[in-house]
Amino acid sequence: MILSIIKLILVFPFIFILPGFFFLLAIFGKSAKKISFFERAVLIIPSSLILVDLSVLAINKIGIPISGIVMVGVILIISLLAFIIYQYRFGKKKIKPEDASEEIAESEKLFNFSFWQSIFIFFSLVLAVFIRTAYLSDTIVPSSTDLGHHMYWVQTIVDSGTLPNYGMPDFIIGEHIVFAVFNLISGIGVMSAFPSLILFFVNIAGIFTLAILVARLFKNRSATAMTFFVTGVLYAVSAPQGKYISGGVVGNIIGDMLLPVALYFLYRSLSEGSGLFAGLFIFSAAGLFYTHHLSAFIMIFSVAAIMAVYLILNIKNIFKIILQWIKIFFKPFPVAVLLLAAAFILFVYTPTYFEKSAIEQATGAPSKATRVGLNLDQIESNVGSARLLLSAIGLILLFLSLKSKKYKYSFAIGWALILILMTYRPGWMYVNIPSSRVGNYLFLPFSLLSAYALAEYFELLKKSSTKFFTAVILYTLLFFVITSGLSDSAEAFKVKNQYQEAVETFHSAGYLASSVDTAKDVVLKDHVNIYGDSWYKLFFMKDYKYPLSRGNLSRYIDPTKPRETCTRDMISKPLSPEGQACFSESGVNYIAVNAQIEGKSFEAYPGFSKVYESNYISVFKKD
Amino acid sequence: MLLVIAFSVLFLIEARNHNYDYKKSWTVVYFNNPGDSSLGFTIENHQGEETEYGYEIFLNDKKIAENEIKIDAGAKQTLTPDLNAGGGKVTIEVDAEDLKYMIYKDIK
Repeated sequence: MILSIIKLILVFPFIFILPGFFFLLAIFGKSAKKISFFERAVLIIPSSLILVDLSVLAINKIGIPISGIVMVGVILIISLLAFIIYQYRFGKKKIKPEDASEEIAESEKLFNFSFWQSIFIFFSLVLAVFIRTAYLSDTIVPSSTDLGHHMYWVQTIVDSGTLPNYGMPDFIIGEHIVFAVFNLISGIGVMSAFPSLILFFVNIAGIFTLAILVARLFKNRSATAMTFFVTGVLYAVSAPQGKYISGGVVGNIIGDMLLPVALYFLYRSLSEGSGLFAGLFIFSAAGLFYTHHLSAFIMIFSVAAIMAVYLILNIKNIFKIILQWIKIFFKPFPVAVLLLAAAFILFVYTPTYFEKSAIEQATGAPSKATRVGLNLDQIESNVGSARLLLSAIGLILLFLSLKSKKYKYSFAIGWALILILMTYRPGWMYVNIPSSRVGNYLFLPFSLLSAYALAEYFELLKKSSTKFFTAVILYTLLFFVITSGLSDSAEAFKVKNQYQEAVETFHSAGYLASSVDTAKDVVLKDHVNIYGDSWYKLFFMKDYKYPLSRGNLSRYIDPTKPRETCTRDMISKPLSPEGQACFSESGVNYIAVNAQIEGKSFEAYPGFSKVYESNYISVFKKD
Repeated sequence: MLLVIAFSVLFLIEARNHNYDYKKSWTVVYFNNPGDSSLGFTIENHQGEETEYGYEIFLNDKKIAENEIKIDAGAKQTLTPDLNAGGGKVTIEVDAEDLKYMIYKDIK
């Protein structure tokens, strides 16, 4: 146990810090001229993640088996190569102190927090970690459906040493590589806490990536400090925070960390005319494309909206601006990164969703009731009342102080507006994706605006001549923000764990895996009333769709296309002609169900033996 | 450091709770070979304490054997009934205090 914890603690920095550290060293050198120490520390994590993903794609392409030793070697080689590049680029050069000092001071000044700001950030982080830990303490045993599905693919990579052929656009390789690498290097199994801990780590890193974006946009240390509070503490349990960590919503969690990174690099490339940052924007965007389709989709719309808002605000100089952008992105570094990214996508590994049908499915008029948009009440419950109020204040304040030439306005306004449109009226944007899933990204620009609103309000308090009324309004606002924003955190302490159900599920899966012959026996299990059932497939490792599963009943009704109903009928009405036909067709001869619900019904059905019973699970064999 | 502590705590919580017996109370009864006509079955005690189980074996609803067995906490006991009877539906009922489990299969 202690050894596992030590391995866990050592492998995290090896994967998430080492490659990114040397990569940023090769890009920026040791100097804080372009990025401060704080930004460097934050960017190390997403850089490491992307580098690990890309290196695994590359070694898989050239046929090297993915194993623990190989991955240790690959990470060391990446770090060494980056160090050699650093030595080549910066080793013998001396930065003239008088040239660099002003820029260094400018960079560092953004993160030179006052004593009270540091205390505020520290306590925000303590609370952010504490609330998530409290919530996860009752959900940490692997049981969530999505995580179970993802870990099947992770185990496939671990077992085979190669990347899987998914055969479906639902899964993206970047959702699995880092987990497989962690397992291979540490030896800690996927049916443990580590997958959730990686998501926890990435989620916390996401707070920092949004903070550096806020810092660069608003150049206001109070707003940066507030970001830790509004992102880390407010609604820390609701989706897409604690619930997404325990729920194993891998792509979203990683996407929420990478999206602000991509926008951070884009902002810096456009506002500073920097080809270096333009290249890093393409690098981070490529990482996003390899990790999560929806996040990449959101990023494309966000970037388009930000650029459109900037062009509209500066309509008189539209051609000049476009020319400037072209000049930035046609510098050698971004062109080289773009070519490399294109080569990766074309020749090394093409993301599974890069196909016509998948793109057509996500675009166009909304095809289902769940895709026509959320109403305002749903948006409010999605982002939280306090965050919604604060971001509305932030948006108004930004409009009031609008300076069209400053990129910060188009970034903050454009990002928020496009996500509001995509959530509220997706049909206008030809977005055909479940609106609640798009709505889960609202918290990013809304947190940014909320942090800005709070910081500006404190500034107003300082300057105000009638401090009493300003203070009363501020404290009333803060009271509402804290009570509303922390209301969901109470849930962290009320969750009743279902660990007994989970281990009974695992036990039944282990029993079946050791008893049946998967070459001829077909197992059907119930997803509706069995907790943690998606982990069943990890006990068999035969196929993603083995064992068969009765899904949520609503999934069998789809107005757009006929659905398979056998997995439902064989459990819901096994003696019916439909059910009997399904048994003959599918070859199902073992059924695992909830002992207290379907288990009792099955006892009355002739033609079945009951071969296993625990408090929670019954297994029946078709005679 | 904050994350190191949180991760260590969560890792420990998961490892403990992943155990069949830690803070749990359940029993499982199963046929050792569900795919054939053999009647060997196992009782696993995850009640958290030593438990005395009683079991009864029925052939076509007629009781043909019964016995009692004590099983330590976290242990399991495999039993192999020797039935010199014809084919039919064999039902095994296991109980302990207010718990009751039943498994059955047709033998030829």
